[in-house]
Amino acid sequence: MNNNKKQLLGGILGDNIVLSGLMVISPVIICGDTLKNAEALVYAFTAITFLSVIISSFVPRKLPYTVKVILYALISALVFIPVELATQEFFPGVIQRIGIYFPLLAVNSLIVFQTEAKFFRMKRLDMIISLVFCIIGFDAVMLITGVLRELFAYGTINNRIVDINTLISGLSQPFGGFVFLGLMCGAYRFIRGLVSKNNEVRSNADVSDR
Amino acid sequence: MLKKARKERLIWLDIMLTLLTLELMSYFYYGMRSVVLAGVCVAVSAAAEFISLRMMNKKFTADDLTCTSDALILALMFPVVMDYKVAALAVLFAIIVAKNVFGGRINMIFSPAAAGYIFVLTSWGRQLLQYTEPYTKTGIFDHPTSLVKSASYIFNTTRVFSHTDFELLLGNFSGPSGSVSVLLLCVAAVVLMMRRSISAGAFIGTVFGTGFFAVVTPVLSSRAASLKYSLVLNMVLFSAIYIVSDVRIAPKRNYYAFFYGLFIGVISYVLVATGVKENAIIIVSVLFTPIALGFKNLEKKIEIAEKEHIEAVTAANADGEEAAAHE
Amino acid sequence: MFLIDELIALLAANLILSQALGTSTMFIAADSKKNMLATSCVITVFTTLSSAAAYFIDSILPSSVSELRLLLYTAVIGVLYIIMLTASYFVGKNWFADFRKYIHVSAFNCAVMGTLFTISGRAAENSSAFDLGWYISSGFEAGIGFIVAALILAAAYRKLNSAKVPASFRGFPAMLVYLGIISMAVYSLK
Repeated sequence: MNNNKKQLLGGILGDNIVLSGLMVISPVIICGDTLKNAEALVYAFTAITFLSVIISSFVPRKLPYTVKVILYALISALVFIPVELATQEFFPGVIQRIGIYFPLLAVNSLIVFQTEAKFFRMKRLDMIISLVFCIIGFDAVMLITGVLRELFAYGTINNRIVDINTLISGLSQPFGGFVFLGLMCGAYRFIRGLVSKNNEVRSNADVSDR
Repeated sequence: MLKKARKERLIWLDIMLTLLTLELMSYFYYGMRSVVLAGVCVAVSAAAEFISLRMMNKKFTADDLTCTSDALILALMFPVVMDYKVAALAVLFAIIVAKNVFGGRINMIFSPAAAGYIFVLTSWGRQLLQYTEPYTKTGIFDHPTSLVKSASYIFNTTRVFSHTDFELLLGNFSGPSGSVSVLLLCVAAVVLMMRRSISAGAFIGTVFGTGFFAVVTPVLSSRAASLKYSLVLNMVLFSAIYIVSDVRIAPKRNYYAFFYGLFIGVISYVLVATGVKENAIIIVSVLFTPIALGFKNLEKKIEIAEKEHIEAVTAANADGEEAAAHE
Repeated sequence: MFLIDELIALLAANLILSQALGTSTMFIAADSKKNMLATSCVITVFTTLSSAAAYFIDSILPSSVSELRLLLYTAVIGVLYIIMLTASYFVGKNWFADFRKYIHVSAFNCAVMGTLFTISGRAAENSSAFDLGWYISSGFEAGIGFIVAALILAAAYRKLNSAKVPASFRGFPAMLVYLGIISMAVYSLK
């Protein structure tokens, strides 16, 4: 895969925003304990982030950095309003399930910081492709986390009982989320290192990803 | 280097010997189930250590057997009727997540046994804090028929301890399988301190902190009784020896280790006295890990400063001698 | 004894350890101990001042248009962001050059916004808490919690980034597991 392709498609595996960039991890840690919560977050994150970044890309680039960051945050706060109203209409349980993490998605680092550092340096079409893959990357991690934590913490998948006789209820708690995500990040880096066959160099670079 | 490695093995051997003595006592009270539980923990820990070392491209050496002492500490903190699967999961958590993720025995952050215990406490708290009475020998694969709360819990909630001092010394009361034999623990503490296999500063600090608060703000009308029960119940003595005073975790200098232990002793006493938090010392010891690390960072800075000072003095002396020779 | 109980309660209410709020920001600042502590101090200023503003927003905003809350909070933080940058500019150019990166990182993140929503939620549940002083003290408390979490992470910083840690876990994954175990201990105190 050439560098350009890597940059565009890397959001899912090569440069996953949660597992590599450690962005938007609070909702994954707290709300990612069931598949239902994960689905709710996936919907909210996808809608808010996609619309906000697309609209923000029309902000003039000549403005000072601080003004641009404030404008991006305000745009995503504005986008949040119709998304919340639509959620109340079509998915009534979602807001209650994810609580304060729903509005917090509007100030996620992907919108506030990555827009300026990554997306707006690309051509618009490339930006959209890269953004979509970043969002899919987040969604995939969220869903995997939701399924695994629900399975081992509650013994269910999407509220359907699965035959597991030793449940680790702590996995549903915030500390379970921290540990699980930490282990998942480690496993992700390990696999990525094996794939790139240059484990030591890549992982050393990851210590200061930013 | 060789001396250091040798010392590490001797420490492990000392700790294992004292733990095996406690395990023997546990066998005496609870039968074969206690030995099997310990065996499961030790076997799982060795396997987990072996596999994780292989994944880190390291060899399994005699020094890596320290994982077995951590597993045995965990087994002795469990009730003998603990589900084997839960015990195995706790050991896996202790060895892999709380130890090897951070680099293993060469880069220890948490006491694996304490982290493993808290892991079980948060997920299987009810099972962890219910025990069989001494001399109730449950079969290896049997389910316990009657479970009771620990004597520590009863004391914390009612301030009543219905056992004689003799029973207290021999550990003849309900509680974790191996951590209640007070007499053996006292002997172990003295032996391990004399052989420098545990941090004397941390141990004395913990005992002093708990004891001082037990006397100043007693939980019973008699200060002596308050002191006695505060030190021997809630796994205070056991944890003071095997968790707080773990030389891999506690600060190296006894002066700092004393204060580290003192804080743990005081805070765990307050939590037990006001919050009725059974075995709070283990939770507090994990919470105080950053303090231990802070002390260690400080020690390192002092060591560097001392080294630089000695080098500067040596250089100044050499210059002085050279100047005198010229004159 | 009372003091120790209060300290434990403060630890148990810590936004990072109990709600994971601002964890990403903490990791962004985790390049060095200095960055971590400076960022957490600036975040404390943000949480305290924006909590005061949140009080006025909550008291004015009718519940029928609560969807506007996020927008108003964002606007308030935006204004604070500009004020902080301007103030630091006038303090001294060198200081501004050194300090502005912390302000940039600390303005828009889950730590500050999450604090405002948490405080607002608590005040909505308990009307006796609806008071300017309570808002400010809660905001300050949240900031202190962030500093405590930064100190906890700073203490282990060297070990978590050491070459002795397996390459796959070095840095952020080890930090997450470390915070997880501390959070587990805090949880078991509840």
